[in-house]
Amino acid sequence: MAAVAPDPDVARDAIEYCYEQGWTDGLPVVPASEPLVDRFLACTGRAPDEVLWRMDHLGRECTVRTAAINAAMAGCLPQYFPVVLAAWEAVMRDRAAKGGGWQSTSGPAPLIVVNGPVRHELGFNCTGGVFAGGFRPNATVPRTLGLMLRNAFGVQPHVFDQTTQGLPGRWSICFGENEEESPWEPLAVSTGLPEGTNAVSATLTRTCEFVDNRHTQDPEQLLWDFADTMVRSGSLIFRSQSVGVVFCPEHAQMLAAAGYTRDHVKDWFVEHCGLTESALRRAGKDAMSEGGQGVRSASPEPRVPGDQLTRILTGREDVPIVVAGARNAAISMVFRVFGQWSNSSVAIEPARAPVVAVN
Amino acid sequence: MTNAIMDPTGQAESQAASRLTLAQRRGDISGTTVVLLENGKQNARLFLEDVGALLRDEHGVGEVKVRHKAVFSTAEPPEVIDAIGAECDVVVTGVGDCGSCSAAAIADGVQFERHGTPAAVICSEAFVATADAMAQVQDAPGYRYVTTPHPVAGLSPRQVQERAGQVAGQIAQLLAAAQARTAA
Repeated sequence: MAAVAPDPDVARDAIEYCYEQGWTDGLPVVPASEPLVDRFLACTGRAPDEVLWRMDHLGRECTVRTAAINAAMAGCLPQYFPVVLAAWEAVMRDRAAKGGGWQSTSGPAPLIVVNGPVRHELGFNCTGGVFAGGFRPNATVPRTLGLMLRNAFGVQPHVFDQTTQGLPGRWSICFGENEEESPWEPLAVSTGLPEGTNAVSATLTRTCEFVDNRHTQDPEQLLWDFADTMVRSGSLIFRSQSVGVVFCPEHAQMLAAAGYTRDHVKDWFVEHCGLTESALRRAGKDAMSEGGQGVRSASPEPRVPGDQLTRILTGREDVPIVVAGARNAAISMVFRVFGQWSNSSVAIEPARAPVVAVN
Repeated sequence: MTNAIMDPTGQAESQAASRLTLAQRRGDISGTTVVLLENGKQNARLFLEDVGALLRDEHGVGEVKVRHKAVFSTAEPPEVIDAIGAECDVVVTGVGDCGSCSAAAIADGVQFERHGTPAAVICSEAFVATADAMAQVQDAPGYRYVTTPHPVAGLSPRQVQERAGQVAGQIAQLLAAAQARTAA
């Protein structure tokens, strides 16, 4: 360990160097040295030269080593690196992320959920303020993905990243599921992994919108309150869409006490979330555009629309459900899936024996 | 001893493709078979069909065929480029009017050029930066394409026809003879 405090001017010079190279997301990064990156690489059994992902259309790829450099720059601790690798894989299982989703005018954000004992071992916040920042792993793991996109794949704002507005906190949505206060099995278990597995599930989202309902003890009324937010026409682009909910423990427990399993809640939403023909027509989204790959459009012919309900969720896989946040108020979050949630989780590689630093 | 600051781009490891040489042009497009490769964006098919009609009526092209991209957001796989290239003399593709599909349309255009098939790509003016960046990535800096004002989605059929009329002549020129590249 250094006997004297590090030199802040040297640190600042190194940070400014990274800015000059165009390597930052606007905030300072931790300049990465080879010994630091080696400590990240020591936390995974994967070979440094293994190609994590290749984007053929951009002519770019990211190796495990390059991912480690970006993780170090994002401010991760070396032991977070297996979570970063799992998070990357989980996000890339989302169909939209494999195509041109990162270049989209929609500017979607990864939403990353961590399950298993690793949440506590690494200090992932699962309770109060899961969307609110303040915790190192929650903040630095998603930031790493943003830096990888920018640096390793060259998807930079105003060039290959054509985001029109985006959403607040694009590279900061990552939290542990509140398994301790959830009445349901962990998300990773609901997607088929064994109980107790350290795992990441992820999707791309376009926005998060809160539902504050401390008003009723009737589960149906509560679900209708969510449905109102879930069906708004402004976010409806295609014939159907996918919408998830991060339930606070209080809402989840109330539903579970009334006999609802996670699947019951999903089924309820699939059955009840829809828009009437007249609501769709009012918003210019009542027809399907010809050759438009499932995109809605304004119906050209004049006619009187009816009150027939068009359902917007096609099945359980369109409704990811997570439990997180504090058990101090009945406030939950609806999140809008950009493409299609993979309905799967990626197991996190087990921690390796600590390697003694040689520098 | 000080450590170097590590480069997070991985660029030192990648290798450059060969610089694009445009496909051979004949000097005019009369009698050629044209494929209109439409990307499925709203109005793309209409736009390209209107262009196709003008190429036939005013520039003497022979057969005009319409083909569809399965996925607008990514470049066509090489086998699709080969198949389309084999059934026509020149290609018109677009309309690039979103972040991913504009870049993908340019990538398709460059692939057709490499295959030996002259191509004309149509992009909306809002996506010039991403289109030019894709040309760089494809090692075709300054690759020429045709722009139309933004937006294209939401135009009426008559407005689409007007737009097609504004660019058909440029498209014919791009397909008939190699144009000087824009400044890279």
